[in-house]
Amino acid sequence: MMEIKVLRNVFEKNDRAAEQNRELFDRRHITCINLLGGAGSGKTAMLESIVPILSQSLRVGVLEGDLATTRDAERIAALNVPVVQLLTNGGCHLNATLVQHGLEALMQHELDLVIIENVGNPICPANFDLGEHLRMSVLSVTEGDDKPQKYPLLFKAVQAVLITKCDLLPFVDFDIERAKADIRRLNPTAAILRTSSQRGIGIEDVADWLRQIVNERQSLVAAP
Amino acid sequence: MHEFAIARSLVDAAIDVARNAGVSRITRIRCRIGDLQQVDGDLLGDAFSAVCDGTVCEAADLCIERTHMAFDCERCGTTFLVGEWDWSCPGCGESGSHARGGDELELIGIDGELNDGNQSAPKCV
Repeated sequence: MMEIKVLRNVFEKNDRAAEQNRELFDRRHITCINLLGGAGSGKTAMLESIVPILSQSLRVGVLEGDLATTRDAERIAALNVPVVQLLTNGGCHLNATLVQHGLEALMQHELDLVIIENVGNPICPANFDLGEHLRMSVLSVTEGDDKPQKYPLLFKAVQAVLITKCDLLPFVDFDIERAKADIRRLNPTAAILRTSSQRGIGIEDVADWLRQIVNERQSLVAAP
Repeated sequence: MHEFAIARSLVDAAIDVARNAGVSRITRIRCRIGDLQQVDGDLLGDAFSAVCDGTVCEAADLCIERTHMAFDCERCGTTFLVGEWDWSCPGCGESGSHARGGDELELIGIDGELNDGNQSAPKCV
């Protein structure tokens, strides 16, 4: 008779690779952000808006996760920052090992901030630690205000939620106060920012929030 | 479809535990999965069978212990589980309640036969 009790995180192997990624970032004084959200929620458009602003004071690199095609990486490359495309070939999420491979190329550059754009999917990517320091989720008003209740993990363990496409609020049935209240219940401390990449609404706020995070982390490293 | 990745990681971890304990055949893998992980039990079962094929887990069954997200009301202290749509407190109607738990994804144990052929624990219910 043999009954063995243990307590192990199911994704222990992924978490070990994630920890190695985090150690690499820390050694190089880099802050890493994992950008999550459903397909078409506006993650790439957000990067196109904030990366040019952030690049004025920070060295930014991007890991672009997708199921197929290099279209998003081409959009980011047009911003003149280093970018590496990670293709999952149909896989619905990035994992820490795939990120590790991408970092081999991206780390040829001296960087302050690495943004990982995850595969567009509101469920699976939230399960996988990639070695990031912070998570930022994107919720577009065209997706509906019920999404915090439908995909709670996407909002529970993140430091910021960007509500995107807010210029479309007059045209869609999206109760922003309800969405914010549900996000608050899941996550009382997350920053919730209203944005529109198309109209430039809230973009400076997102860039400021990120810049502040990077500066705080760098000053921690610089402290004796 | 994260069930396949979960099944594979679960089986890898169980095999690792078995190896360290001198277990030659795993008869049951026990895990704890929270609602927030949004794991479909049938899909996980199918993925589990596929992943176990040809391993020491080939004859293993999978026992899933489900956990739920609960809310603690800030005003009246009521603890309640997630309703269908309304997340306000059933005790006082307050909206400022805070979520806790429900995000577990853990291997909690294995049953198996030792290298000397001793039988495992009784069947999972």
